Amino acid sequence: MSAYLLRRLAQIPLVLLVVTLTVFALVHVTPGDPIQIMLGMETSPEAVEALRKRYHLDRPLPEQYARWVAAATRGDLGSSIRQHQPVTAMIAERFPVSLRLAAGAMLFALAIALPAGMIAAVRRNTWLDYLLTGVSVGGLAIPNFTWALLLIYVFAVTLEWFPITGAGTAPPGSSVWAMLAPFVLPAVALGIQQTAILARMLRASMLEILTQEYIRTAHAKGLASHAVVLRHALKNALIPLVTIAAIQFGYLVGITITIEFIFAIPGMGSALLDAVVNRDVPVIQGFTLFMAVFFILANLVADAVYTLLDPRITYRS
Amino acid sequence: MVALVAVIALVALASLASVAAPYDPVAISLGDKLRAPSASHWLGTDYFGRDVLSRVIWGGRVSLVVGLLVAAIAMAVGVPIALVAGFAGGRVDNILMRVMDAFLTFPPLLLTVAIVGSLGADIWNVMLALGLVNIPVFARLVRGSTLAVREELYVAAARALGATAPRIVVAHVLPNVVAPIVVQVTVTFSAAIIAEASLSFLGLGAQPPHPSWGRDLNEARRYLVDAPWLLIGPTLAITTSVLSLNFLGDGLRDAMDPRSWRR
Repeated sequence: MSAYLLRRLAQIPLVLLVVTLTVFALVHVTPGDPIQIMLGMETSPEAVEALRKRYHLDRPLPEQYARWVAAATRGDLGSSIRQHQPVTAMIAERFPVSLRLAAGAMLFALAIALPAGMIAAVRRNTWLDYLLTGVSVGGLAIPNFTWALLLIYVFAVTLEWFPITGAGTAPPGSSVWAMLAPFVLPAVALGIQQTAILARMLRASMLEILTQEYIRTAHAKGLASHAVVLRHALKNALIPLVTIAAIQFGYLVGITITIEFIFAIPGMGSALLDAVVNRDVPVIQGFTLFMAVFFILANLVADAVYTLLDPRITYRS
Repeated sequence: MVALVAVIALVALASLASVAAPYDPVAISLGDKLRAPSASHWLGTDYFGRDVLSRVIWGGRVSLVVGLLVAAIAMAVGVPIALVAGFAGGRVDNILMRVMDAFLTFPPLLLTVAIVGSLGADIWNVMLALGLVNIPVFARLVRGSTLAVREELYVAAARALGATAPRIVVAHVLPNVVAPIVVQVTVTFSAAIIAEASLSFLGLGAQPPHPSWGRDLNEARRYLVDAPWLLIGPTLAITTSVLSLNFLGDGLRDAMDPRSWRR
């Protein structure tokens, strides 16, 4: 544990203050009265007033904010207006699904990026390197929802290899393949851009390492070149890669929304979209707050992993 | 160079959409629905018999306006924050940058969706939300450059001559941080195109019948089996504009300051 990590921890209260204020402000920029949205059109003024009291909407804003934060720290994010379900229960149900999807995407990305980045670095400035670089630049320019449509057309509509829907909804007791197959296309669609990012990262750090003295020493002592690349170069190139992968994983969890929408996956993203369409403010608030906190923790873990992996790294201000 | 020409061509095509598009993008012609690409409809027609090419060209106008406005909002707010933080330094810098960092902890797409969700699904709200989300990115970047410029001798000289702080910032610091700002504008522009397409795809941005690349891809999704060619136009449009903007950004970066911008 370095002083840097402690400083990062010390910054978290301020970050949380800004995050909670922003999320709280979201409700108050919403046009229309949340109570009216909640009750629909036919309401008596008494009923509106009663609900306003119940949700403390008649209190001054700072007090409302304080109450909301206090409740959130107790794990109470309010209840969905439409689903009649506590927001925390929805998160508990849906977050693992999004997490699984992001994990699948990251697995795919690493499986492709590791060999691709290594080959591009070892065979630098050959047609193979240019091809891999070209593919990753192109891959980054196509949004992931477009990748999803292209993959569906090729692998679901034309080849019929994978189903389009059913991810996260397989009944218990189904075969492993029945549970995994619907995740393949969504995970690949979500992971393609990360593949490109990680492959380019790995290529760059491998190139830097391959010019180091100890690599020349390893060659000089007669080590086979694949051993030099794998044992000496890759091992060191993996340190930044793991860090980037950890950060990218947190990022992936935050962008599953379009993929969940296309493949009808019951994760955080599709629930947030439903909430947005229905103006379900507690859900929008709760989900955004939860994801922001998850993001903060994920980045902190990534930093910690980085310092643990490389004993040389000490952050100084 | 190629990228610059491509960007200019895309901008020209989008701004001259009324002349360049062969058909009215919203004219419904049910007799011509879901036609495959042909000489009269280069990219085919959609479910309502609307010409896909014309919709792609008009959709470019949406993407162009979104990209420009998002970059403008992010720049107009982010750059002054960065100049003040970077030039003042100390406590002011610390507070402003910690706040910007806090905003950067939000997953950007989620924050955009949450803002649009709170304001209501509408293309103008998408622009506003994307602009807001990009402010901290601009602020972080330009503040870094400001810190470097602040230490330059010409700034010390201006100060010795008795120039006031606002004057130094506007006359001496700002012109020297233009390069990273311009590069960041192209990056923001291409990111905004993808983000707008994503949000319109989700039904949160451009509303039917208005053409938008993301919106039209959502419609193409429903006819993947019968009319897969509907994917071609919007996909190519998004990809070429994002690629050419990214290449333009890389080119500008190399051209304007090869030393400090080499990665």
